[in-house]
Amino acid sequence: MALRKIRELGDEILTKKCREVSEMTPRLKELVSDMLDTMYNAEGVGLAAPQVGVLRRIVVIDIGEGPIVLVNPKMTLQEGQQEGNEGCLSVPGKAGVVVRPDHVIVEGFNENMEPVTVEGQELLARALCHELDHLDGVMYTTRVEGELFDTSELEEEPDAEEA
Amino acid sequence: MTGTVNLREVVLGILMEVTEGEAYSHVVLRDTLEKYQYLLKRDRAFISRVTEGTLENLIQIDYIIECFSKVPIHNMKPLIRNLLRMSVYQLKYMDSIPDSAVVNEAVRLAQKRGFYNLKGFVNGVLRAAARGMEDIVYPLPQEDPLEYLSVSYSMPKWILSRWLEQFSFEEVEKVCDSFQDENPVTVRLRTDRVSREEIIDSLEEEGCEVSQHPYLDYAVRISGYNYLQALTAFRQGWIYVQDVSSMLVSEIAAPNWGDYCIDVCAAPGGKSTHLADKLKGSGYVEARDKNEEKVSLMQQNIDRMGIINMVAALKDATAFDQDSFHRADIVLCDVPCSGLGVIGKKQDIRYRMNPAKQEELIRIQRRILSVSQNYVKPGGVLIYSTCTIGADENQMNLKYFLENYPFHLETIDPYLPEQLRCRTSAGGYLQLLPGVHETDGFFLARLKRNDE
Repeated sequence: MALRKIRELGDEILTKKCREVSEMTPRLKELVSDMLDTMYNAEGVGLAAPQVGVLRRIVVIDIGEGPIVLVNPKMTLQEGQQEGNEGCLSVPGKAGVVVRPDHVIVEGFNENMEPVTVEGQELLARALCHELDHLDGVMYTTRVEGELFDTSELEEEPDAEEA
Repeated sequence: MTGTVNLREVVLGILMEVTEGEAYSHVVLRDTLEKYQYLLKRDRAFISRVTEGTLENLIQIDYIIECFSKVPIHNMKPLIRNLLRMSVYQLKYMDSIPDSAVVNEAVRLAQKRGFYNLKGFVNGVLRAAARGMEDIVYPLPQEDPLEYLSVSYSMPKWILSRWLEQFSFEEVEKVCDSFQDENPVTVRLRTDRVSREEIIDSLEEEGCEVSQHPYLDYAVRISGYNYLQALTAFRQGWIYVQDVSSMLVSEIAAPNWGDYCIDVCAAPGGKSTHLADKLKGSGYVEARDKNEEKVSLMQQNIDRMGIINMVAALKDATAFDQDSFHRADIVLCDVPCSGLGVIGKKQDIRYRMNPAKQEELIRIQRRILSVSQNYVKPGGVLIYSTCTIGADENQMNLKYFLENYPFHLETIDPYLPEQLRCRTSAGGYLQLLPGVHETDGFFLARLKRNDE
């Protein structure tokens, strides 16, 4: 397991557009695996390559239903609307209300460059939109309605429940 | 992206704390909502609704679950039990959520919380419940009134059977029914510094709906606000959140200019501040409590509200205070009680209380009465009150008190709104029943010390 440093708001790299991946190399495979580790370690539900300083079109997502890896993702459908809080691993301690489509379909490739289609609603739709935005240098903070909230006091204390 | 708040997981957390732990739901819910203040109003409402709804209907929900589960509810893993409970609540009571969403979210949550092997069980029970919800056979009132009331209104049977001894089936059903109703918050308007109109304007300006309460002109119901503590009228101390039943205590105490009053179990201080307000700065109200934290909170309130004729004092109501002997014109004995009258506001009281705990409370109530009566000067009055329903903690305590101490009951009709006057109020006490009266369940009595 290798963790990469998560770039934070203000870092130029987060505003840049990413390049397509033309071929899956061992280096990029390692990147994907590191991105997953980094995301899980930070207890996030999604991470895009530029957030760890690599300007390639790769995102990883896990909303609690298993990992999704998307290379060169393209949104082919978005419909409906949802309003809700969103936060970003590159903007620690903050959250804000963002309106997103409620249903999206994204086509792309997995880490073995096999074509995949991901259909998402609610949280997954939100996560897909959020991560795909990163690949074009768009931060959710530019889409927030109203102000960003402080979530610092909201950190969940570890659960002491029986399993 | 960071993980967003999973609303159902938040609810599950609250239910675990309340049903498996010792925490009170209104406290946990309040703390949780405070913590998630930044959530959308809609999401906050969802958390409240599912939490309160599940607890309000707990016995009924368990009845439903057991119709579809081979495993008895109390043999399930606590987390699974509560997950099923909140899911059945959504299936039965929240039409806006598709059944499939409820089931899928529950299965996902079970998995997330480490119960991968019970996914199938959760899925099976909830799918069966969703399909069979309309065909469940519930107990009938004519066949088994007790079972019927218990399952329909989620009330423990021991409480119901005592009430049925004292009140008619119809009255008991009305009380149970009222516990399920929305509870608009009632506030007392404090018009010593600003006018009633100014307070109401301020409330309405900030989005509240304000309506007059039928019993007292300074009592209004408010709704439609997002966060009460943020209202100008609250921050300025122009309103005090209090049920009308509590306000009636100060009404029947009817203090005269300059009276010395002792409230032996005062926290959080509503009745005391009301008395102090009624004294218009004259006299003196000593608001006692045995809990240091509560006393300092009361003192903060007194200061915030700018009350000059009141002080908070750290004193245990069960310990005799020589200095107060025959000193007070009015003594308020709002004793700790089983709280069965305020189940509508604190849903889990009914599941917490039991006959043994009630016995213990009665012992404390009598102890407090016997100590506090010492402070009433000849011709002075003691107001006994509880927020519970039932003779054990109310009429029986009065009987005990009158048999042992030189007091007599005095009519409270002159101080009551006309709608509340009845045979017992003419005699000196009143049992308020929610659903029958427009208040919480409450008991109050006016006891006058015989002249020497």
